[in-house]
Amino acid sequence: MLLDVPTRIAASPAAQRARTTPGLLTAITAGLVALGLLWSVAGLLAVGRRADRVDDVRTVSGPLSVHALDIYRSLSDADATAAAAFLGAGTETSALRTRYLDDVAEAGAAIASALRATSSANDPGRASENQLRLLAAGLPVYTGLVETARAYDRQQLPLGAAYLREASGLMRDTLLPAAQRLVTLETGRLADAQRRGADFPVPVLIAGLVLLLALAGAQAFLTRRTNRLINPGLAVASLATVVALVWFVVAVGSAVGNLNIGRESGSEQFTRLAEARVAVLQARADESLTLIARGDGRADERHYAEMLTGLIGNDGRGGLLGDVAAGPGADRAQVERIAGLAARWRALHDDVRELDDGGRYDEAVELASGPPSATFEQLDRALDEYVDATGHWFDARADQAAADLAGARTAVAGLGLLVLAAVVLGTRNRIGEYR
Amino acid sequence: MRRLSLALVVLALTACSAAPPAGGTEERPAALRPRPQNVADPAVVASPSPQPRCDPLASYRPPAAMPAPGRMPAGSTMDRIVRRGRLVVGIDQNAYLLAYRDRTTGDLAGFEIDLAREISRALFGDPGRVQFRHITTQDRIPVLQRHEVDMVIRTVTMNCARWQQVNFSTEYLRARQRIVVNRGSGITSLDDVAARRGKVCATKGSTSIATIATIPGIGPVSTDSTLDCLVLLQQGQVDAVSTNDTILLGLVAQDPGTELVGPPLSSEPSGVGIPKENVDLVRFTNGVLDRLRSTGALARSYRRWLHALGPAPTPAAVYRD
Repeated sequence: MLLDVPTRIAASPAAQRARTTPGLLTAITAGLVALGLLWSVAGLLAVGRRADRVDDVRTVSGPLSVHALDIYRSLSDADATAAAAFLGAGTETSALRTRYLDDVAEAGAAIASALRATSSANDPGRASENQLRLLAAGLPVYTGLVETARAYDRQQLPLGAAYLREASGLMRDTLLPAAQRLVTLETGRLADAQRRGADFPVPVLIAGLVLLLALAGAQAFLTRRTNRLINPGLAVASLATVVALVWFVVAVGSAVGNLNIGRESGSEQFTRLAEARVAVLQARADESLTLIARGDGRADERHYAEMLTGLIGNDGRGGLLGDVAAGPGADRAQVERIAGLAARWRALHDDVRELDDGGRYDEAVELASGPPSATFEQLDRALDEYVDATGHWFDARADQAAADLAGARTAVAGLGLLVLAAVVLGTRNRIGEYR
Repeated sequence: MRRLSLALVVLALTACSAAPPAGGTEERPAALRPRPQNVADPAVVASPSPQPRCDPLASYRPPAAMPAPGRMPAGSTMDRIVRRGRLVVGIDQNAYLLAYRDRTTGDLAGFEIDLAREISRALFGDPGRVQFRHITTQDRIPVLQRHEVDMVIRTVTMNCARWQQVNFSTEYLRARQRIVVNRGSGITSLDDVAARRGKVCATKGSTSIATIATIPGIGPVSTDSTLDCLVLLQQGQVDAVSTNDTILLGLVAQDPGTELVGPPLSSEPSGVGIPKENVDLVRFTNGVLDRLRSTGALARSYRRWLHALGPAPTPAAVYRD
């Protein structure tokens, strides 16, 4: 029998000691402690790395994407509102003025927050920062043009409309594309962070299983050597390892699931919805600009048609909203209601165009500020609520993932210590018996 | 004392800005210089096709007796218009004083709007039966060729190339191509602009942009609307705006910081554009214009809107048959 060998062949005192039962027990204990430590540290590191990524999703990439979408939305809304205010015969209403100013304030604040956030984010080639700098430089120029337009308009001069068109051109040709590039960059980064946070740490799982096997082996060895059926220390250690492993798998698995769901039905839907909102706001600006341009607005009208086709398709069921409805976790009924509002708006808009193209400009302006305007408001509000709900849902998933990982970290740390303590205590008594 | 302290402040500031920025790898951001949409700089101008020879002012003689309002000869273009119940006229809505929307009343107003209403009065006995269709400079001839409107009153210059495509009434407005510049710019003619290798703005598809493009040393810039040219001038992106003085007057009226200068570059007679096929409507319109000339209504309208250009030139009618 192999275990008899050490008593007969004695080489050195140290080797001799190692080959005695207490020596072997000490070696086994050391091995178990090393394995336990390895597993705990690997587990903590794996959880920690994922927690960092989730943290990045929650505190950097996520908010940055939201800032980017805020910039995009508030700038489009400013464009639409400035044009609508201009169209109001006589003086613009204070409600529209307030909305425009709110948009400008929101865009400015979001640009500042995003600039601050990019400094702590990994921004290769300063791509996001450059877009933000362009936006920061362009916003005051834009508002300057809008105010010039207002000043001329108050003097009843057609020149005001020319300035408004220039302002809108700056917004559409320079600022909104920059905001859109920023959204693409940031949502891409967010999806990336979510993907990287959402891979399962298989080596940690394997290390845990190895530890479990080693514990079982040590138990078998002790049973044979000491004729005691169960070593309580090793039993506790094995139990703790099983609990820790299950806890780890369940918690990390849940975090991975939350991140994946958050990405698929949260961020991706969120981005589509944000695009949909911008399309609606752009079309609203087009509607006003076509009327303001008084004959030079054919390009704006084409743009309106493009935006609406992109939003709901030609049949009222496709487009961005069709994609949203088909996406995971969508509230079908709500999305269909929104698409229905968009289709109604398009029909009402056609009536306005018919009046204007028929030379009945005053009636066209009057109609435009009536039912189409009210339908636009409903559509805008419905989309806003849906976007908010999706955003909250996404936040909740990221928060849940963070909570899962915090739990996993406690489990790995606490139970890992318990495993180590139990192994040492369990084997120490047996080693003591041989002294 | 105050001047001295100001000088000190300026000195201090320049000293500060001369110092290298502390830890600054930051690049100086490029200024955003927005432009109106669809600006072409330099403008693409088709080389003028050889003009066919003709007398661009000569139109068709009016009928011996003008029909009474509402009783147009059966089968005529006028009869069709009266049956339809409205006269469709292509106009500008952005030419201050010529044809623009009065923001106070919401109505269209201006010299050309007056003329459209007079033609409606002759057709229907009611000046209000006009359906105004706002069109761009580029669209003036195409909408006539496609019969989308009965006539275009939008400072269309009568020339022989256009006579091949549409008909014109007799001349109702004599304009001259001139330039508008910023006051105090020292520019008094296109030669001054050429000397500084400056830029001059005019609308796409106009005779003005074609004229500018032929002058060496000048960068032609084209826009969709003359108003966009004024925006460019105010923003210092062009040195002058050039088109008919009747339109330029509307620009100067909106910005007292600009002035109308320079010798006339060309004579731009404006006629009512009417589709090639509708010669009867041309004769009828000429009858209306004749009446407006003899009663002095045309001159009165000119004085009301364009008095700043001096006495009304009241061009005489020229007929080809």
